[in-house]
Amino acid sequence: MDIISSDVWGQLALEASQVYIDDGTGGPAKSPYAGTTIEKMPDRVLLNIFSYLSHKQICSMSRVCKKWRTIAYNTSLWQTVSLRPEISGLHVTSLEFLLSLINMRFGPSLRYIELPIELITHTVLHELANRCPNLTHMLLDFSTAMQLHDFSELQAFPTKLKYLCVCLSEVIFMEGFMRKIYNFINGLEILHLIGTYEKVEEEEEEIYEVINVHKLKSATPNLRVINLYGINFVDDSHIDAFSSNCIQLECLAVNYCSKVTGSTMKTLFQRSKRLKCVLMNQTNLISEYLMQVEWEKSSIQELDITGTDLSTECLIDMLVRIPNLKFLSAGQLNGFNDTVLSAFMEQGNVRNLIALNLDYSDNLSDEGLYKFLSRYGHQLQGLSLAGMPHITDQLWNTVLPVLNNIIIMVMGTQERLSGNVLVDQLMDGIATNCPRLERLELKWDPDNLRFSDKSQKAIDIFRVKCLKLKCLVLSDGRYYEIVKANFERADRLTVVRTTTCCSVSNYYLLQNYKDLIFN
Amino acid sequence: MPLIKLQSSDGEVFQVDFDIAKASVTIKTMVEDLGLEDDDEEIVPLPNVNAGILKKVIQWATYHKDDPPPADDDEGREKRTDDISSWDADFLKVDQGTLFELILAANYLDIKGLLDVTCKTVANMIKGKTPEEIRKTFNIKNDFTAAEEDQVRKENEWCEEK
Repeated sequence: MDIISSDVWGQLALEASQVYIDDGTGGPAKSPYAGTTIEKMPDRVLLNIFSYLSHKQICSMSRVCKKWRTIAYNTSLWQTVSLRPEISGLHVTSLEFLLSLINMRFGPSLRYIELPIELITHTVLHELANRCPNLTHMLLDFSTAMQLHDFSELQAFPTKLKYLCVCLSEVIFMEGFMRKIYNFINGLEILHLIGTYEKVEEEEEEIYEVINVHKLKSATPNLRVINLYGINFVDDSHIDAFSSNCIQLECLAVNYCSKVTGSTMKTLFQRSKRLKCVLMNQTNLISEYLMQVEWEKSSIQELDITGTDLSTECLIDMLVRIPNLKFLSAGQLNGFNDTVLSAFMEQGNVRNLIALNLDYSDNLSDEGLYKFLSRYGHQLQGLSLAGMPHITDQLWNTVLPVLNNIIIMVMGTQERLSGNVLVDQLMDGIATNCPRLERLELKWDPDNLRFSDKSQKAIDIFRVKCLKLKCLVLSDGRYYEIVKANFERADRLTVVRTTTCCSVSNYYLLQNYKDLIFN
Repeated sequence: MPLIKLQSSDGEVFQVDFDIAKASVTIKTMVEDLGLEDDDEEIVPLPNVNAGILKKVIQWATYHKDDPPPADDDEGREKRTDDISSWDADFLKVDQGTLFELILAANYLDIKGLLDVTCKTVANMIKGKTPEEIRKTFNIKNDFTAAEEDQVRKENEWCEEK
């Protein structure tokens, strides 16, 4: 052991000093195990260590010595690979390198890959098809495309895909590519088509139907989960097309597809008997279409109608007829008032409801909510009542005693309030009543949060009582700093976050949540 | 559950509650297969673990005896290394030799929780270092020839800093 003589690195002095431990008799003694070095570790252990490193670091580690090169090239470290550098993926500078990667590293272990437009070529797809027989999940990002590569020679494509996510561009027609892959994707169970919702609204541009849904649905008869997100051309006829060929359909999401009105919903539910989950956040649903749906015959359990214009009459009609609702997201709905809530309670079936989101539906009174929550609060796992200035900590304090099963809670509004929120008392109530809590968001403006010198104690209690807490989101301000510091002192470094970088939603409670994640 | 006796490679015998010892899948299987539960005179030999390390392993298992069983490796689950608890971090403030002995013991005794947290600790020592710094830190000999070194650099240069 002559590491000390070769100490040229600053941090080495520290590492070397660890070779010696205090033996309790005063003077330093050499560790009895100084002969046990990293070189004695079996490959299995090194693989475990490497599995905590980024792919970039793993590549760099292959230059340490021969043994480490062998480990770094082990295909089991390369099961999930993102090559989109802007989303913390690897940055591959040339196609040759990607091809040699597929050959030497990925192999049969690869299960999930994300490719950016510049790496989607027929040679890459051929290699993936030939070398990676277990590739089941694939994301193709065309969103920044100016033009497609030439796919006329594309002869092969991974055949075992269960999950395909395509990020569409607004102007590039996909058919030249899609036509070549239809034959290979009939095993697909989960399809995501991601539009460019976030980028639009700048000016009225012409809308192009860049992917042919009618042809696509014929090629994919086994879809269980379809997510069409923020696609400007998607309308009811596309929903109809999918429903005509996908009898397995369990989950349909068309969030932010503003052309959707619901005119084909009736047929959709008639055809897709297994449909359990429909998410239609920020669509242009028309009440009379939804009232035509035979809700009482449907298997629907999870429904998102946030940000639509549905009328009070329509909401009552639906909620009274749906036999078995578990998840309801009905935020930003002017029509959702106390009458709707009480009709749901009196005539509908609320017994299985576990998640409720009524953010910004501010025609609801605190009284109406109190009545509902005191009766059904005990069964709820997710409750989101944000953005309603009149729903204050007072209501929460009165209902917290029954929210014993709550896992996710969102409360507060960013609007400045005249009265203050006594946050210590609120945290006390949560700590006492909600042992299963995993995610909590308090949206109140930091200036409205009143806390005292007892805050630290309240946070301490909250921290040790709600042990399952994974995520606590607060508006950036003094209270956030206090809570963050408190959790950091207890080595819970990643729990506390700000509203600017994180937000909590009931979506974690959806049965297909895992399948619905994209990007 | 009764106490069981564990014997280290250097002959020392430790009496441990079986509820604590069963954190080790190896010990649990041995005890159950040999039907040692009812026989408190029988000694479980652990020829690959010496007394100093076994003592530390028992200390770790005692502290963690009420932990929920570790989840199986979920596919695609993000692997993070910033979630080591402060007790574990303190427990693992040891010299490299002891750390690697603990890893070997956790590997042999099949204690997933201890193996994961020790491997994370080593991963944290690796993070952000260049190959040369790694060699110095862990006293690893560079056994590449100049030509091989060139070759392996070429194979991996695409992921160097832009």
